[in-house]
Amino acid sequence: MTDPARRVPRVDAADKVTGRTRYSADHCPPGTLHAMLVPASVGRGRVVRVETEAARAVPGVRLVLTRLDPEQVRSPGFPQSGSGYGFQSLQPLLDDRVAYRGQPIALVVADTLTAAVEAAGRVDARYEAEPVAVTLDAEGAHTVVQAEEFPGIRRFADIEVGDADTAFAASPVQVDMTFDFGPQHHAPMELLATVVEWRDGTLVVHESTQNTGAVRHGLARVLGIDPARIEVICPQAGGSFGQKTWLQPHVAPLAVAAARLGRPVKFVMPRKQTFLATSFRPASRHRMRLGADPSGRLLAAIHETRSQTSRHDLFASDYPSITARLYGIGDFRGTQHLTRTDVPTPGFMRAPFEHVSAFALETAVDEIAYATGRDPVALRLDNDTATDPVTGNPFSSRHLAECLRRGAAMFGWAARTAEPGSMRDEDGALVGWGVAAGAYRASAAPGVARLRADAEGRVAVDVTGHEMGQGLHTAVARTVALDLGVAADEVRVGLGDTRSAPQHLTAGSWGTATALAAVHAALRRLRTRLGVPDDGPVDVAAAVLATGRPEVAVEAVTRAPGQSPQAVDRLHAGLSAPAGPEYRGFSAFSFVAHFAEVRVAVETGRVRVSRVVSVVDCGRVASPVTALSQIRGGVVWGIGATLREGSEPDPRYGGFVNADLADYVVPVGSDIGRIEVAFIDEPDPLLNAPGVKGAGEIAFVGVAPAIANALHHATGRRHRALPIRLEDIL
Amino acid sequence: MSTGIKHGALFATTVEVACTVNGRPVLLLLDPRESLLDVVRERLELTGTKKGCDQGQCGACTVHLDGRRVLACLTPAVHARDADVLTIEGLADPDGTPHPVQQAFIDQDALQCGYCTPGQIMSAVACIAEGHAGDDDQIREYLSGNLCRCGAYPGILAAVRQAARATAEG
Amino acid sequence: MRPFGYAAPASLAEAVEALAAGGPGTRVLAGGTTLYDLMKLGVERPTAVVDIHHLAELSGFDTTGRDELVLGAGARLADLAEDPVLRRDCPALAESLAKAASQQLRNSATAGGSLLQRTRCGYFRGGPPYPCNKRRPGSGCAARDGTDRGHAVLGTSESCVAAYPGDWAVALLAFDARLDLLGPGGPRTIPLSALHREPGDTPQHEHTLADGELIVRIRVPVTATGRGSAFHKIRDRESFAFALASAAVAVRLGRRGTVQDCRIALGGLATRPWRAHEAERTLLGEELTERSALLAGETALAGARPGTHNGFKVALGIRTVADALRTAGRRAAS
Repeated sequence: MTDPARRVPRVDAADKVTGRTRYSADHCPPGTLHAMLVPASVGRGRVVRVETEAARAVPGVRLVLTRLDPEQVRSPGFPQSGSGYGFQSLQPLLDDRVAYRGQPIALVVADTLTAAVEAAGRVDARYEAEPVAVTLDAEGAHTVVQAEEFPGIRRFADIEVGDADTAFAASPVQVDMTFDFGPQHHAPMELLATVVEWRDGTLVVHESTQNTGAVRHGLARVLGIDPARIEVICPQAGGSFGQKTWLQPHVAPLAVAAARLGRPVKFVMPRKQTFLATSFRPASRHRMRLGADPSGRLLAAIHETRSQTSRHDLFASDYPSITARLYGIGDFRGTQHLTRTDVPTPGFMRAPFEHVSAFALETAVDEIAYATGRDPVALRLDNDTATDPVTGNPFSSRHLAECLRRGAAMFGWAARTAEPGSMRDEDGALVGWGVAAGAYRASAAPGVARLRADAEGRVAVDVTGHEMGQGLHTAVARTVALDLGVAADEVRVGLGDTRSAPQHLTAGSWGTATALAAVHAALRRLRTRLGVPDDGPVDVAAAVLATGRPEVAVEAVTRAPGQSPQAVDRLHAGLSAPAGPEYRGFSAFSFVAHFAEVRVAVETGRVRVSRVVSVVDCGRVASPVTALSQIRGGVVWGIGATLREGSEPDPRYGGFVNADLADYVVPVGSDIGRIEVAFIDEPDPLLNAPGVKGAGEIAFVGVAPAIANALHHATGRRHRALPIRLEDIL
Repeated sequence: MSTGIKHGALFATTVEVACTVNGRPVLLLLDPRESLLDVVRERLELTGTKKGCDQGQCGACTVHLDGRRVLACLTPAVHARDADVLTIEGLADPDGTPHPVQQAFIDQDALQCGYCTPGQIMSAVACIAEGHAGDDDQIREYLSGNLCRCGAYPGILAAVRQAARATAEG
Repeated sequence: MRPFGYAAPASLAEAVEALAAGGPGTRVLAGGTTLYDLMKLGVERPTAVVDIHHLAELSGFDTTGRDELVLGAGARLADLAEDPVLRRDCPALAESLAKAASQQLRNSATAGGSLLQRTRCGYFRGGPPYPCNKRRPGSGCAARDGTDRGHAVLGTSESCVAAYPGDWAVALLAFDARLDLLGPGGPRTIPLSALHREPGDTPQHEHTLADGELIVRIRVPVTATGRGSAFHKIRDRESFAFALASAAVAVRLGRRGTVQDCRIALGGLATRPWRAHEAERTLLGEELTERSALLAGETALAGARPGTHNGFKVALGIRTVADALRTAGRRAAS
């Protein structure tokens, strides 16, 4: 990866810096009308009456929809129930129930955006309000045992290895900590945006999403039409981080409105509604018990969790998956509970479970280090494991120890004095150094790559996958370019388009592994068709000419190791089909070690993260330029999640109080100090031919505990809740 | 246009505004409540300028109004009267050569999803012109009005540093 | 469509006429960063606006006078922040501007409009279903038993605990700024300290301007104390955020290092820009030490009445004042 000749700049950067890149809201077909939603202002209850007269009287208003016909519009279903497409099963506008504040109760369409906004503000509703429960401890919140709700589904089940309770009780050194993590919102810069248009009976949807396949098939189910009549297009999403994972509930109503009006309809969700009417990272509480011997060898861990879900869906969690595997802990128990509250269904947000699980575990490990007088890096190295404690199988690749060693050297860890409060900078601020590790499952999904080469030497590839900024265009272009010996910016890459390849959810850090496996297979097939050797540069134009055809097109369909053909059927149905982390005979994870330096002004509670060093084992680095940005971005997320970001539920009115970008505080440039990144860059030998694992999520896992451990080192205070704000430091 | 309100001739409900956008003269008939952002995007179809919050909290809609960076979402379009508006589409040389700040963003990979990027670049061009790119802390501070949720801040810092140096060297 | 009128008068005099003609629902539009924002949220629903942002007679400023700084109400915050005289002779004023909002907003926001910036209380801005006595008089206050972490601890009432969010007015208050106004009744001048009201039972009345009255200019008496001044702002991130606590302070030191003159004003902590005269008096004639600075801070916050989640603001306010005094003292001594 350090070979500068192989440095491929981001292939879509030139379009992005000139404003040429078209995001969903940038489409404006002739005759486009503008839509606005009217959100419910009660947290739970029933809509008694909706007055729309004043709204209809606004000049330019074409339609005010308050109810959809249940014969025409259905629930999209919820993915974790097996075969759904919606971020929640609840489809608004079908009845009078209000399940959460912000749920749409009307849709207004007008000639201009000004008129739509004005009219939406004039829709007046009367409600019968009911008491709300929006926090884990609220009266009326209802808790269930996850494993009992999902019988027989391994990924939602408890994890039990050995006898953790007995082993913990017998451990000479014990840590027992409870952590509280508040809800958080993705807040991508791009607002949710939809442009729907019926063209000769075909529904064309420009939708900001990381899952055009689910939008397509979800709309087919909701509207009861043939998916062949639906095209969903999203070559570029302006960030997503899990927010745009599934079909949004307003898209089908927009399609209904567009059909009725015979005109394209555009909707851009106001920022406030993105905090009230979309998914989010649920609140969760973790009790972490960790037992060790006096040398710091970890003997037992018990990880019990309770996290928030909605009334209408069970958003199953997966918290213990990494706590059971980050170290070689012989006896482990992980038990998960879900608490139903009056919110839109929570969902995946970057490292949905691993971020907080790592915080709980890695804080407890730091405590063990202090309790046993061990250096936190050395202790982690001593507890490394080559086999997955849960399955007993080997990891396909695991370079965590190397991440820790290399990171410690880059950071200058050896100069650390262990005593909390023992380091200060020249200005008198307390300095803290902390370390934490992270793991994230290496998954892959079935993928399709369609590769074309023509007699003029042009190469184009359409593939399963979406671009949300992670650099998938670049990774695909670079893979093709290096394989064939052509220039990366001459490879046309098509992503996020249901017209050109079947589309699967791009999430969970499986996007690159999925797309590149398919592209790699397609390249082999192309070489065969062209009659050229299996590797080495190819004169594409000459090779195509030699076939006597103007163009050679190949298709490759790949599956993750051990996946059955049914996984491909699911891909074609817009359902998700990721495999991992457990594969036949091995387990696969990405790993990371983060080292953080904080400077704390105790008088005013000001905390600066002056330096972070991150060393990442994500398999082979498929695109060094964009991967570096991914990791830095994950560290920035970690700084935000640790010190800044918290959505504040409103226990009286439902919803969240801080529903904008001034009050939901994400980091700005001044919050970010030096970030140094290194990659192990060793190909994973088992997962896929290119040897890639995932980078986007692992970058973020473990940043928060590294910072919190650094804070503890600076001040002696342990933090058991996120975010850590200045009142927690004062 | 009829007013239909009783404020008398002083008040108009529709306002005619002449301005230039990226050097091109434009005549607009505006509802005075329309934002400059919605007008450039929806009416002039210059969609490079992005709506990230519509409340002055993210910087994605940064444009130049008479050479100064402002937030198009909090600028009533009527404030463009007789002004020169510059958006991301007008930044490169007419021959297509990218502006040095645009080139620096490419060189330093100062972006990921790209949604905040036009605003970042418009802000960075102004930041350098204002003389606020003197050192790293100053660059960070004077670009803090532009959020980047992907967290491209280290790359953005490097890009502005590169472009400021290039500008200084003339 | 809701009728909405727009006037762009050619002069200040015409603006005053237009405001009078427009009647009660008419508002002044300057930079737009508060009014236009709140219009989008539906919190402000004017029937007409009188646009003054283009009036050249409002936008000038002169910081070269021996006796006072004269700042047009239409001057842009960004231009004032760069003024070399302000930066040298009264750094607290320049810093309050530089730490306000972002450069883009400072390029739009005006010196006069900024004084009338409205609270960032989420219940005020959030609209329905929240009760808010400021937005809908008599409806109640959602913040009192709600999420009040960012809210005021000084100058609160049963009706309202919303914090005044600005920085610039806080710094001006420390330097006894005066405001020239123009309205239907003619011109008048008031001290800035008389502009903002405490909420009391009528939090919807935030200032003392008469109907149709405009701020024309701000006049700040020049004082040698200005050189020893600082504006300190504590917020939830390093930049582009409203103050959780801020302090504009200034000291002039005598030959023996004792404090001869002292100014302390607080932001982010009170329902209006808050001058702490009592705290100033504790320092007069004293040496500026760690201890005396903290005592001044404690005095400034002595009357604090925290709510549910903002108790930390008392300690934070005390330390912010002390910290700012430390910086100011250093500047005064150099």
